[in-house]
Amino acid sequence: MTAIPMEAARVTRLRRLNVAGGALTALIVLAAVAWAFPLYWGIVTSLKVEQDVVRPGVHLIPERWTLDAYTYVLFNSQIGRWYVNSVVTAGAVTVLVVAMSAAAGYALSQLRFPGKRLLWWLILASFMVPIPALLVNHFVLMAQFGLLNSWAGVVLPQLIAPVTVIIYKQFFDSVPRDFREAAVMDGATELQLLFRLYLPMNWGITTALAIITFIGAWNTFLWPFLAVTSEDMMNISVGITQVNDAFGVRYARLMAAALLAALPVALVYLVFQRRVTQAIMLTAGIKG
Amino acid sequence: MTRTRRPEALIALALLAPFLLTYAVLFVWPTAQLVALTFTKAPLIGAGDWVGFGNYERLWKDRLFWTATWNTLYFVLLTVIPSTLLGLAIALGVNRLKGWAQSLMLAAFFLPYILPVSVVYRIWSWLLDGEFGLLQVPIAALMGENVPVFRVIPLFIPTVALVTVWWLVGFNVLLFIAGLRNISAEIYEAAALDGATRGQMFRRITWPLIWPITVLVATIQLILQLKIFDQIYLFAQGGRTDATLSMVGLIYRSAFQKNQGGYGATVALVLFLLIVAVSVLQYQLLRARGQR
Amino acid sequence: MKRAFWAALLSSAFSVSAAQAQEVVQWWDFLSGGDGARMKQLIDQFNTEHEGEIQIEATTLEWGTPFYTKVQTSAAVGEGPDVMTYHLSRLPLGVETGTLSPLTEADMTAAGLAPTDFQQANVDAATVDGQMYAVPFDIHSVVLYYNKERLEAAGLLDANGLPMGLDGAEEFKAALDKLKEGGLDQPLSIHDSTGDSTWRIFYSLLNQQGGQFLDENGEFLSGDNLDKAVAATDLMASWVSEGYAPPNIEYAASIARFTGGEAALHINGVWEVPTMTDLHAKGELFEWGAVQLPVFFDQPATWADSHAFAIPNNQGNEMTPERRAAVMQVIGWMAKNSTFWGTAGHLPAYNPARDTDEFRAMQPNATYSSLAETAAFDPRSPLAGVGSPVYDAAGNFLMPAVNGELTGQEAMEGMRDDLQGQAY
Repeated sequence: MTAIPMEAARVTRLRRLNVAGGALTALIVLAAVAWAFPLYWGIVTSLKVEQDVVRPGVHLIPERWTLDAYTYVLFNSQIGRWYVNSVVTAGAVTVLVVAMSAAAGYALSQLRFPGKRLLWWLILASFMVPIPALLVNHFVLMAQFGLLNSWAGVVLPQLIAPVTVIIYKQFFDSVPRDFREAAVMDGATELQLLFRLYLPMNWGITTALAIITFIGAWNTFLWPFLAVTSEDMMNISVGITQVNDAFGVRYARLMAAALLAALPVALVYLVFQRRVTQAIMLTAGIKG
Repeated sequence: MTRTRRPEALIALALLAPFLLTYAVLFVWPTAQLVALTFTKAPLIGAGDWVGFGNYERLWKDRLFWTATWNTLYFVLLTVIPSTLLGLAIALGVNRLKGWAQSLMLAAFFLPYILPVSVVYRIWSWLLDGEFGLLQVPIAALMGENVPVFRVIPLFIPTVALVTVWWLVGFNVLLFIAGLRNISAEIYEAAALDGATRGQMFRRITWPLIWPITVLVATIQLILQLKIFDQIYLFAQGGRTDATLSMVGLIYRSAFQKNQGGYGATVALVLFLLIVAVSVLQYQLLRARGQR
Repeated sequence: MKRAFWAALLSSAFSVSAAQAQEVVQWWDFLSGGDGARMKQLIDQFNTEHEGEIQIEATTLEWGTPFYTKVQTSAAVGEGPDVMTYHLSRLPLGVETGTLSPLTEADMTAAGLAPTDFQQANVDAATVDGQMYAVPFDIHSVVLYYNKERLEAAGLLDANGLPMGLDGAEEFKAALDKLKEGGLDQPLSIHDSTGDSTWRIFYSLLNQQGGQFLDENGEFLSGDNLDKAVAATDLMASWVSEGYAPPNIEYAASIARFTGGEAALHINGVWEVPTMTDLHAKGELFEWGAVQLPVFFDQPATWADSHAFAIPNNQGNEMTPERRAAVMQVIGWMAKNSTFWGTAGHLPAYNPARDTDEFRAMQPNATYSSLAETAAFDPRSPLAGVGSPVYDAAGNFLMPAVNGELTGQEAMEGMRDDLQGQAY
């Protein structure tokens, strides 16, 4: 097989692609179908007439289509209110985490100040901190601040994100020194450097971190589940499991409520698919 | 005239202030409080009597604590390794495709990852519903009868682990694909010209180069899964809550359901230390490997 | 002096405006089934009648442990509701954890109620150490729902359309066999996937043998009570192991098996009466009935509990006297309008509400109301009641035994040791 001409090599590659490759592709397509199926089944169930849902036998496609389950959930629960809570809290977490981390990352990357090394090590060490271990104390703290059942109470404990600081520092570190020196020669202040040079050069990572933080905050369950008792203040992922009266034990309604809860982030993902994928790869690339 | 630049340290402080403040108030302070709380018999809210190491003694003898620890480690075992390997396998498969086909496949695997846990819970408890669940059709064909998997203890954690792998593997897939893309095509072409087989290429090129990503994925999953609570809590509701308890579940139950803040904090501290220990260990392993 | 004057003026201004403003009463309940719909109706009616004065803002939370965990933690941080539904079985636990605000005589007067408006047993259940903490709203229990058409076909219906031949453990199984011959694969439906529902049946069966779950000395399943508990567990387990009822059935599915016609007998709470009534009214259900549980052992006895209204002890966030008066007015109104609550299957606790022609004619309540005479309430202990260690233990020991994962003996010994270990 050594020293075959290019043409022969291509033929070999093509043959491999045909046989083993075909099998692999079939396998991966099959796996993808299996992966997507639970979601498909949830959607189909939510579009069925309630009696059809529990009818014996397998009905992969509804015989009678209806949006009843959706209208029922929309008009008989506080789902709109839960959306608002989710959007506000997840949005606030995202903005605050990204802003704080960018500022801190810049200071750690580009400025000299006493205690810098110590602080850097502390942040590195807290990378592994298990936030759920602090549940009890966060609850006590938020109770003392009188922030339970409020947006602020939901947001605050989610702000500890040493990882985003670490990522920002590493990205800022890799901005070429020359750029900085040129800007300093032009008389740029530190703030101007941050906003005119370092952030614009790293918009990619900012979007990436924002997307990841937002998905994480939208999906968070345990903390909002503890910090919120009033139905008005629940976010959507807690609301659909805690408040029962709107849905009762109707499977189509339960599915409709669940899918409505998933819809916004799913839409964001489907629209910005390439961006989200790149975002996650970007954060991984530097850590790896 | 040279412009006087304000002292760097002051600017640094200003930039660091928001982060430092939240870090101090929401991390350092609660951690100190957590340690203090473990030595008291406090309710969830309010002060309690000093009991020395009483909570730790109770912990050692508490059957539930050992169940919770075992369940957590068992769950970690059943999620971290499969989701890492499966993530790599799927990434290898998806990476062969190009263009829209790749995007489509990727979306199928990644979409579950962006669902809130409660949605995952709803979908799967419906799929596996003991009476009407669609998956009961194949289960009944295999086992001869419907099996309510979330109520049969030996099946509970494996099933929740399976659901979790379905849910989160998309994230791992993305990381692996990022890693695979970093391996330049030239290396493979050169190897192909040297007559390397598919298997040889994987062993000699892909695997060594993807190893750091594998460690990263496993680390992220490990730290994440040690904190397991949500899925187990939701799927076990109303059932055998003792036998299915996780460590965070025990914290929740002690502090919030039984109003024993001191004891809950003690469990929390143990979990805290466990995660720190595991992370340090893994970091060391990673470094050892890198130095070789 | 001047400041004191202004302060007084200010506070009086506030209290005046508070008195004139509409009071919004935050209300939490856990009523999600058929009775949830009835409660919604009551609340709507109250709100219409009290437009501009008092409005109830209701939230329905997940029944059981989730509800009581929320109540307990939110009361501790002053974030609880103004009024909530509460199980009297849990009252000792609620009082011990400081979750409940004591009700004074003034409160009762504000509600327009007197303890004598309720049965003494109910009032006792709402009282700890001579202090009242809740106003009873109903007595509820489990009953046997039956499919008249199926039972008639199997020859199990008497001339009055009531089931016959079901008393006695063996006779009950013989009846189930007849239903099997009639083409029903698994003719009995019980919700056997969780601890709460299995506990209700178990506790009925234990009391049908005169057994005591917790004795006067604070010991669980002492002496021959253990054997009686094992007998009760084994009987339930035999329904499953002998194929009369499928194992591990979830709540919704247990109802669906009955309403779908797969099972002709269904043991569940009276709170599902409205589900059946409504389905029947829509023409989607066969002729059905509900009767007191059969006597499987020596004497009739049925588990029972009470829904009541209580005010959480919101620490650091006391409600204004005006709000409290409004809350008591809500409670009083609910009691006085509780005949309607009978349509949710329950027996109203307020004596005058039961003492009406409307209630006496209400079906199927009238058929099973006799169960009140032999009602067996949960043990009085901070370890017992809904969402308590006893309920947890039922989920951890009793439920697996019913489904054949543990033997009755193992389960009851485990349950006894587990609970005794938590008693101090």
